[in-house]
Amino acid sequence: MPFRTVVIISLCLSVGLAWIIESGATDVYLEATRSDFQKIPLAIAGINNVGGAESPEGRLKLGTRIEEVLKADVRRSLVFSLVDLQSIGVNVGTLGTTPDPAFKQAAEQGVSVIVWGKAGMKSEGKDADVNMDGYVYDAGSDEMVGGKRYVGSTSVMRLMAHRFADELVFRYTGEPGIARTKIAYVSEQGTAREIFVMDYDGHDARQVTADGFLNLMPRWSPDRRFLVFTAYRKRSMQNIDMIEVATGKRWTLVALGGLNITPALSPDGNYLAFASSYEGNSEIYRMDTRTKALQRLTGHAGGDLSPSWSPSGRELAFASDRSGGPQIFLMSRDGTNVRRLTFEGDYNAAPVWSPRGNWIAYVCRTPKKEYKLCLITPDGQKRVQLTTGQGVDDSPSWSPDGRHLVFSSTAGGKSHIYMINADGKDLERITFSGTHNSAPTWSPAS
Amino acid sequence: MTRLQSIICLPLVVGAIMLGMSGCASKGLQSGGDTRAGKSAKSAKSAQSAQQDDKVGLGQDLPDTSFSGEDSSRGLRGLDKNPAEERLGGNSLMAKSDPNSAARQMGEIRAEQAAAAAAGLRDVFFAFDSFMISGEGRQALLRNAEWIKSNPGAQLKIEGHCDERGTSAYNLVLGEKRAKAARNYLVELGVTSNQLSIVSYGKERPFCNEHDESCYSQNRRAHVVVHIDK
Repeated sequence: MPFRTVVIISLCLSVGLAWIIESGATDVYLEATRSDFQKIPLAIAGINNVGGAESPEGRLKLGTRIEEVLKADVRRSLVFSLVDLQSIGVNVGTLGTTPDPAFKQAAEQGVSVIVWGKAGMKSEGKDADVNMDGYVYDAGSDEMVGGKRYVGSTSVMRLMAHRFADELVFRYTGEPGIARTKIAYVSEQGTAREIFVMDYDGHDARQVTADGFLNLMPRWSPDRRFLVFTAYRKRSMQNIDMIEVATGKRWTLVALGGLNITPALSPDGNYLAFASSYEGNSEIYRMDTRTKALQRLTGHAGGDLSPSWSPSGRELAFASDRSGGPQIFLMSRDGTNVRRLTFEGDYNAAPVWSPRGNWIAYVCRTPKKEYKLCLITPDGQKRVQLTTGQGVDDSPSWSPDGRHLVFSSTAGGKSHIYMINADGKDLERITFSGTHNSAPTWSPAS
Repeated sequence: MTRLQSIICLPLVVGAIMLGMSGCASKGLQSGGDTRAGKSAKSAKSAQSAQQDDKVGLGQDLPDTSFSGEDSSRGLRGLDKNPAEERLGGNSLMAKSDPNSAARQMGEIRAEQAAAAAAGLRDVFFAFDSFMISGEGRQALLRNAEWIKSNPGAQLKIEGHCDERGTSAYNLVLGEKRAKAARNYLVELGVTSNQLSIVSYGKERPFCNEHDESCYSQNRRAHVVVHIDK
């Protein structure tokens, strides 16, 4: 090989290497949850009922209800696979505070973790507290490796199960779990639409705004203290407001005139990206939340909207109709390096970047003119349609572990909120009451 | 080629192929993308300098929203062989709708509708995904223009609405385009623009809720009301 060729090839290689390193600086990194991830076999031997108290939701006794909530949490964690002890021929005796002798038998059949406990009222009376004890047996060490003891009013009964589920996920993966996360959404109240917050499983919904007109498209702050959303002032001015969820305290962030929609705080909380039409057509702006300095990121005759931050905060995905129907584009956080990401179909909108960085979910219009959820990798190399069937699907939002999405769908007639795994499995409806629930947005984990 | 040379060359060739592929991939994105990236960056910069000192309309005294990415498991305390009692509290704050405020807003909406009906104002209807004003739409706006010209003290509010298909966000943009198209035509007909205001409701305030074309066509409209500002 001539010397010159070697030099050219080495030069090319170093450029190639530089490109590889450079691309490592974008938000594409390896999936932490591999598709061949082996779930940890876990059995819930039972949460015994102490005394005869019913759960505040009725029908079931306290322990039985907490066990039901815990089972659903463990299943949704996607970290554990639930094993039914009776179905593998293991019969446990009366559960106490020490592991049942039958646990060893279950361990020999491949069960890694066995959970048990008890729950009841701590005392008599109207304002009495609920008590829940939970224990964890680990097959590896053949002993009780730890437990939890929770106390609180009946209103936090479900939270006891959620916290215990997250402790399990944390112990076995180091991740905080999603059972204590919340979903903010918009719910129709008469002719008004207001912001609500519910638990991630659709329970314990509570109203956050009560303006009597339109509040739309909430998004969480990264510390999950605040929600930013579009609020209609005097029914005709669209501002971007922020509300502290715990106190109801409220601020107006943007009141520029025109359409001010799709706010999103950056992962470090220091910038608010949003779409505004105050200078003409809808463009994407970035406001520094500390100095209030405003920077326009797009400048195009088409409408630009729905900015979504990459987990590193270095890039934004957004929707733009600059090339006809809306399509998904990417850009750097300063508005440079704009490139189109979606080419399939003539309507792709509402992009949301996965917290793991590896996918962008969005609403795609299928060849059958249905509005469904699609996923695409930020390099555009892989694209999948996630939902199928009847109804208009809208407003996808990722769980903080990147394993699930929530979205709204009219599949059942009225618009309701659904949850689905990122692999398209386990579609689950999570709102059942009300006339119209939409725009769900999943809180960060805590 | 000696064996040694081929051992050296193989990784080089593989590397060169990888380089070629990566070059193609990034080019593919660029060629289909926004070729005016440079221009948009420039305009973004000028917007920044223009807006830097203009804080009008942006919130003051905001709370600190900075997030340092503290330990993600801060809420969890871990399992313990002899667990201490952990008291859990729930957040019971619940916003309550003010029935007076709701009634007042409903009253205002009814007053606007009634005034529009009394004035004989007409709405403009649109085709799917479109903000083009049809011949019928022009007739409606001509009627509205006559009324507003003979009522110089009046204000018209044009609300852009969409059917339920498509995303909430994009429909707000489409609704604004519909309202603007109607407003612009009224201005073309000689209406003073300061008598006109627009607002987009996207698919958030539908006139009907059925999932069929007869309902969809009702919801794709620029709804014209007499603006009563209080």
